[in-house]
Amino acid sequence: MTRTESWKIGLLFSTSGVTSIIEQSQLNGALLAIDQINAKGGIRGLPLEAVSYDPGSIVPRYGELAERLIVEDKVSVIFGCYMSSSRKEVLPVVERRNALFFYPTLYEGFEYSPNVIYGGACPNQNSVPLANYLMSAFGHRIFFVGSNYIYPYESNRVMRNVLRQGGGEVVGERYFDLTTCAEDFTDVVKEIMEVRPDAIFSTIVGQSCIEFYRAYHAAGGDGRICPIASLTTNEGEISAIGADAAVGHITAAPYFRSINSVANRRFLKAYEQKFGSTIDVTSCCEAAYSQVHLFAAALEETGEMDTDCLREALLGEAFDAPQGQIKIDPENNHTYLQSRIAMVNGEGEFVIDLKVRRAIKPDPYLVYPAIHDWSFRTQKVSGGGGHHA
Amino acid sequence: MHDLIRDLRDQNVLLIHPRDRSADELLQQVNRIGCSFDHMWPVPHALPDKFDMVFVDVTDQSASKLKSFFDKREKRATIITIIGYENPSVLDIILEIGAHAVLTKPVRAAGVLSSMLMARRFQSEQERFSKDLTKLREKLENVQKVNDAKFILMRHRGITEREAYHLIRKQAMAKRTTTTEIAQSIINAESILSNMGDS
Repeated sequence: MTRTESWKIGLLFSTSGVTSIIEQSQLNGALLAIDQINAKGGIRGLPLEAVSYDPGSIVPRYGELAERLIVEDKVSVIFGCYMSSSRKEVLPVVERRNALFFYPTLYEGFEYSPNVIYGGACPNQNSVPLANYLMSAFGHRIFFVGSNYIYPYESNRVMRNVLRQGGGEVVGERYFDLTTCAEDFTDVVKEIMEVRPDAIFSTIVGQSCIEFYRAYHAAGGDGRICPIASLTTNEGEISAIGADAAVGHITAAPYFRSINSVANRRFLKAYEQKFGSTIDVTSCCEAAYSQVHLFAAALEETGEMDTDCLREALLGEAFDAPQGQIKIDPENNHTYLQSRIAMVNGEGEFVIDLKVRRAIKPDPYLVYPAIHDWSFRTQKVSGGGGHHA
Repeated sequence: MHDLIRDLRDQNVLLIHPRDRSADELLQQVNRIGCSFDHMWPVPHALPDKFDMVFVDVTDQSASKLKSFFDKREKRATIITIIGYENPSVLDIILEIGAHAVLTKPVRAAGVLSSMLMARRFQSEQERFSKDLTKLREKLENVQKVNDAKFILMRHRGITEREAYHLIRKQAMAKRTTTTEIAQSIINAESILSNMGDS
């Protein structure tokens, strides 16, 4: 009976295919947390045991493998997914089987399932601070580029609304397939150079994100003058893009590797010991790490893998994450998160320029975020050395 | 962005439903969506004015009572029914009370938002159509009256249709009233005169 020897949990992150860079980092975050928990003696004396599959960034595979984890491997708790389309495949499976699914990724909102714990930011937690920042630091004419799926559409809709409230203007909008390569971006980069926006808002994800930043740089685009701003471009992608092409570009996220705090230094040290380097530590990696810890604390409390008991224990639970304190909102299963804005410096590292004063409540069903909401007020991060320093 | 989506949070929602798991699921989802809400059970005597949208459990309810409950209030509410069975007698209640959308038990969070939206749209269109219809009916009646009056004038005076219309308009302007009023007076006078001839 394996049931009595360990607590089995499922991991569903792609280590191959177009979103493998980011999903590998999420997998690592989860594995690190599992190691830490087991090193401390596990949960109620039993270790966590990960059953991990690689969906290969192929959307329907996520649903099939979730089914396999639950039916064949007898797992009732799963961590996984990056793209919304893959989450939508897993959702009906975990609902039908009443399993618990942890989704450690920012997404577009407008979803709630009692079987999902959402660990990433929804638009109210990152879009509004970013829009404010772009308009005050760079200007009001923004060009939109995005990948061709639900997250960029909805993300751009929110951004457009917020920009309009602040007097901003969307001067162009283009969408691309996930498999788009550098030369396919030639036309849009040319268009950007002609339109001369004040900033570019990019929701291009995966491998093509790297290609886009490179194509922009190759055409003479300079992040220090007209930056590409993103909610998704992370440390792993910046290192792949290279410091020369990445300098000046901006990302808004709850977590950056460069956060200067005890909790983060401890996290990075442990990560480096396990994986040899912290090169691919990202906000989604940190979210996966934190979600495993939140789960473990809940399991310690319940002592059983029953979905309904675990959910009860999880709702309202807090954790001192590397980003600062986070908390699962019992109203909607999403997470109170920090919000920060960072700019890539000459060495290819994110330098945090602004942060909000306290964790922002998730509001996944917010149609119109208000640009002047008091909870989005930011403060300078001392020693940041960024644009506003 | 459609106004109905943008303004959804302005809706005041009432749930008329026994306090059970379906009710809790629904209230929590309405809360997530961001509407203010209230719960009542059993069906109250009258529907308070502040509620724009009502979710109502129709299980074991009388269709005629529910209908008069909703009809009593002048300002029409958006009605979303919650049903446990999809059999013809339950479906009949839905149609009878004029529901704008339906949710089935057990209520799931997904789908509530779309139902609210479709119900709002259905209800607001219905309202608009019925207003338009009333206006059109009135207009048609007026046109008919003016036509009748024109023919009366043409017959009596031996003038063309255009001249008859100008005469009616001139009178309306002189007496600071509408052409319809003048037309009505002409029709009334004509009927009195012709009745006199008969007697």
